[in-house]
Amino acid sequence: MLKIENLTVTYPDQTKGIDDVSLTVMDGESVALIGANGAGKTSLIMSLVGVLPSSGNVFAEGIKLSEDTLSEIRTKIGVVFQNPDDQLFMPTIYENIAFGLRNIEMPEKQIKERIAACLALLKIEKLGSKTALKISGGEKRLVALATVLIMEPAIMLFDEPTAFLDPKARRNLLQVLNALPHTKLIATHDLPFAAETCQRSILIKNGKIFADGLSQDILYDAQLMDKCGVEAIGVYERKLK
Amino acid sequence: MADFHSKIAEIYSLEQLSSQRSYVHDLHPLVKICSTLVYILCVLSFDRYTFLGMLPYVLYPLILIILAKIPLNMICKRTLIALPFCLFAAVSNVFLDRATAVQIGWLAVSFGVLSLFVIMLRTLLCVAAVLILVAVTPLRELTDELRRMHLPNIFIILLEMTYRYIGILLEEASTMFTAYRLRSRRGKGVEMKHMGSFVGQLLLRSFDRAERVYQAMKCRGYALHDFNHIRNPLTRSDWFFLLVTCGFFIFLRWYASPYNSGRLF
Repeated sequence: MLKIENLTVTYPDQTKGIDDVSLTVMDGESVALIGANGAGKTSLIMSLVGVLPSSGNVFAEGIKLSEDTLSEIRTKIGVVFQNPDDQLFMPTIYENIAFGLRNIEMPEKQIKERIAACLALLKIEKLGSKTALKISGGEKRLVALATVLIMEPAIMLFDEPTAFLDPKARRNLLQVLNALPHTKLIATHDLPFAAETCQRSILIKNGKIFADGLSQDILYDAQLMDKCGVEAIGVYERKLK
Repeated sequence: MADFHSKIAEIYSLEQLSSQRSYVHDLHPLVKICSTLVYILCVLSFDRYTFLGMLPYVLYPLILIILAKIPLNMICKRTLIALPFCLFAAVSNVFLDRATAVQIGWLAVSFGVLSLFVIMLRTLLCVAAVLILVAVTPLRELTDELRRMHLPNIFIILLEMTYRYIGILLEEASTMFTAYRLRSRRGKGVEMKHMGSFVGQLLLRSFDRAERVYQAMKCRGYALHDFNHIRNPLTRSDWFFLLVTCGFFIFLRWYASPYNSGRLF
């Protein structure tokens, strides 16, 4: 379970990226974070793993985020970045996936077994020995997901998971995410994707929660979404007709 | 774009070799570091006119290349990159040290020319030894071992980060260069008048990207404090390699070579 209490992120220029946000994500629940550009979605995600300094309380699986629990929290929460290239900084795909496990001093034999299982789960076994430079955008996204999944986190945070993906890769990712049993918080602009992966959606405006409810209620509500500068599902199609 | 990508792939190709399996790859990283260190010290300990005494040291890189199945041309190409630098450093000797060292038929070889060749050979041998070390040992194992050897952590972090960010810098440069080329009048290189802003932007973008990469590393448990200092024990094979190679280098340096006291022939 992920519990956030009065979380506030203040940038060096004193503007608030996140302003007094409180929410709870239950075990196994998938929640979409929706909002216009600059609403605070990425800031919220980064503050949950202590990358951005914040005030307030964050509890992941009962562990409170603090300087002392940072490494423990980061094994409980996995973050998939918006740009997979940011996560693929080692020479080979194998090394990239092994990076986190080596940081927790896992024996090499065990690392090898876990990586083989993870690559098989995502159906990207053939990529193991390749470099990140020679794979497609969709494959990069899956490898970035593998780098996080391999750590077996209880909670997964996704920042724009469908960015840079073609429709086929997007569909593939959708199937992969829906098959994962983890607690998921997905920040996205891709509302149809959010509707297909998350039962619950949270609408963010200027760093504050504007609406929180069932995806089918929020994502199709043109008036509500318009107030946050986001276009609800089907609005554009209706305009075309 | 493809050129930049091939350059990045070239940079990391040595490390990709390090994940292969061979007798040399399987050795303990400490053994490989120590034997390389002893090799370099022995090569550097020759005086500036001893050319032939150094020649048997060519055997070490050659044998390792064969044992580790490393492409010879890959090491040669990279080793030759160091050549202009040592040439530049040693070329003045040719003009300053003109006394004849040895007469080979009609050809008089001066001490300056001799020292030029010694410096070149010395540089090539040392660079080749280090390149082979990198090609047979994953960078992570190398840096872990350097930490266990109590080298200052800041140097090791700098080494790791520099190595990792070279590719990122090139990638950013590649993207910017492509965008520039598509809109520039000449369609070739960056014009001099745009160079300042191009390099400045590249720096800012790389800084930004490096920050995100570091965040990604931190999210996956990269911590500088939790390092395991316990070293895996050396096997018999490790001890054998260490004793044979170091013994061979020292033997060649001080006992076997008649050319080790400054004599050429």
